[in-house]
Parts: sequence; C-alpha cells; structure tokens
Amino acid sequence: MINLPDNARKHLDNYLQQVRTCLKDCPTVDADEVEQNIKEHIESELQDSSEPVSFAALDDILKRLGSPQQWLPEEISWWRKIILRLRTGPEDWRLAYISFALLVVGFIILPSSIVLIPASFIVARAALSEVADSSELKAQKCLIYPSLIVSCSVIAFILFFGGMVLGACLAEVLWDLTWIREVAYMGTVTFAASITVTITALSWIILGAVFCKWPGLVRSIFKPFADWFNRKHAIILTCVGFALLVLTLAVVGYLRFVVFSKL
Amino acid sequence: MVLTGILHCYILNIMENRFFDNWSTQLRKGMLELCILNAIRGTSLYGYDIVRKLRNIEGLVISEGTIYPILSRLKREGFVQTTIKESTEGPPRKYYELTAAGEKILSQMNGYWQDIKTGTDILKGDEKS
Repeated sequence: MINLPDNARKHLDNYLQQVRTCLKDCPTVDADEVEQNIKEHIESELQDSSEPVSFAALDDILKRLGSPQQWLPEEISWWRKIILRLRTGPEDWRLAYISFALLVVGFIILPSSIVLIPASFIVARAALSEVADSSELKAQKCLIYPSLIVSCSVIAFILFFGGMVLGACLAEVLWDLTWIREVAYMGTVTFAASITVTITALSWIILGAVFCKWPGLVRSIFKPFADWFNRKHAIILTCVGFALLVLTLAVVGYLRFVVFSKL
Repeated sequence: MVLTGILHCYILNIMENRFFDNWSTQLRKGMLELCILNAIRGTSLYGYDIVRKLRNIEGLVISEGTIYPILSRLKREGFVQTTIKESTEGPPRKYYELTAAGEKILSQMNGYWQDIKTGTDILKGDEKS
C-alpha cells in the first residue's frame, strides 16, 4: 500500500466513499470490484512517485479518474441521481445544500422556521468552518450566504434594537402604575419615548462594554460579515449609547421640569 | 444593432457547443464499450493497462474512472471474465479477457460500427461530389 500523508489519505478515503455510495445500489455494476480497480489504478499511477506521495499528485490522479457521479448508468432515474449527488458531493457542498434546503423549507412552512432557520444557520456555519477563508467558498456562497444573512440580520436586530422593544414594553407596564404617572408628570407618548430610548441607550452601552472586552464575540457571531470589527467599534457603540442617554435625560428633564410643569 | 448581432452570435455559438458536447458524450458512451472490448481482444489486460491503452485515443476517455464500471458491467453481462495473476510489481492483479459470448458480441458490434462508418463515409463522399 502506498504511503500517503494524512490529508491525502483523507482525500482518497472520501473519494472511495463516493465510489461506494454511487455504485452501491447499481444492479449492473459490482461496486467492490470497481473500488478494487480504482485502488489498483492509483497504486499503478503512483508506483514511480517518491514517498510519501503528495496531496497534489493524488488529487491529479483522482481528477483524471473523474467524479464517480459521472459513471452512473443511464438507467438510474433523475431523482436518484440528485439524491446521490447530495450524498456523495464533497463534504462542504453537502452542508451548503442542506443549509439552503433548511432555509427554504423554513420559509415555506412558517411554523417550522423557529427550528429550521437556526438549524440552517448552524449548518451554514459548519460549512463555513470547513474552509480556512470564506473566499474559498466560491459558488457555495450562493447556498450558504442566504442563511447567514437572514440569521445574522435577526441576531443584529435583537442585539441592537432589542432594547427598544424591551423599553416600549416596559413603558407600557409602568404607565399602568398610577404613582409612576404622577411622578413622571408628562404625556403618554413622551413617557413611552423616553423610556424606550433610555433602555436602548443603556443596552448599547452594555453591549459596547461587553464587545470592548471581547471583540472576538462579534466577529464570531457575525462571521464572515464582521471580520473588520475591533475594540474601536465597540467603544464607538458605547459612546453613541452614552450620548443618546445623556441627550434623552436632558430632553426628558427639560420637558418634565420646564415644559410640563408650566402647563 | 452591432451589440445585438454580437449577442446573437454569442448565443448561437453557445448553443452549437452544447449540441456538440451532448452529441459527443452520447457517441463516446457507446464507443467506449466497443473500444474496451477491442482492447482486450485476443489478450488479457488488467484494468490500468486498459485505461492506458484507451487514454491514447483522442477524445475517447474524458474521465478515466468511467472504464471500471463498464468493465464490471461487461463482466456481469458475461462478455468478459477475470483471472487473478501474480504480479512482480505488487499484489496479484485482476486480468480481463473476452469470453466466447464477448467475442460474439464484439464481432457483431464491430460489424455494426463498420456499417455505420461506411454509410457515413459514403454520405460524406456524396457531399463532396
């Protein structure tokens, strides 16, 4: 048996697995015999190569052998060919297909989207982890990115505008309390707006502080869209939150003690 | 107008290429079986030797691995048989040779191919004249 480095061995095992999967249920072909022939072919090709055989040398032989999907006989139905393509495609492509399929089904069957869209996101991230750099993904981006964009948009909305929703809910709860209304001494809209903006500003300050301590968290959550994020951006977020808080308190104070007290 | 003309030519070129690709793929599929049987006619060869022999024919073997499922299918059909022979260069090798049924079908296939080739040549000749 030829001495192969780990990456080449893995590549060969993956190829032979594709051969087995493609030909397993093919009634006119003996999959074991073909696999044996392929092994002999590779050994014969590499006979004169210096050991250990390089990944590139093996890859060149496998490319010349071609994809086992091309060997499927005509009698196999189209739907079976599609299933085989999904089962035998390179690992990263399979994940990309699954991610996209989960996203599409999640959108079609809306109640299931709570489970399927996060699952699609996880699979897309797994596909992304298969490559060292997202630029290596090439055409797979079309399958992986929709899921990442949808999920990252939802996460971004929750993180950056969750405070706003929370503030609005809190304002509604507080406004029902009589003593709050008496202390606040302002209109419903002004009260709701001030609470909402204050909570939003506070959430941005907290988020900014957390991201300043762990900037990698943002890069990790929003990978590959936030690779540029660093402490500077976290500080900007904190400053914006702080400025918004000060501005809100100033406006609320002015309204409460100057405008409404005169009414 | 010029742009439309260029686009039209480009689309026609793509369609022609696609047509040729489909046609040559279909032709190759049928021819490959005939060539494999001819390659082992009167001799016994092991899989890799057959590939080496066929890869020299321009445009016939696009992916070399295609030959192995065809060999397996021909064996199941009873047109070829295998014998294990010791090798000086490694483990024992599986050699393929034609069976009597294989000889018969090959002779039929060669005859059929010859008829088609002759017919095509005549048509080509007619076209020239």
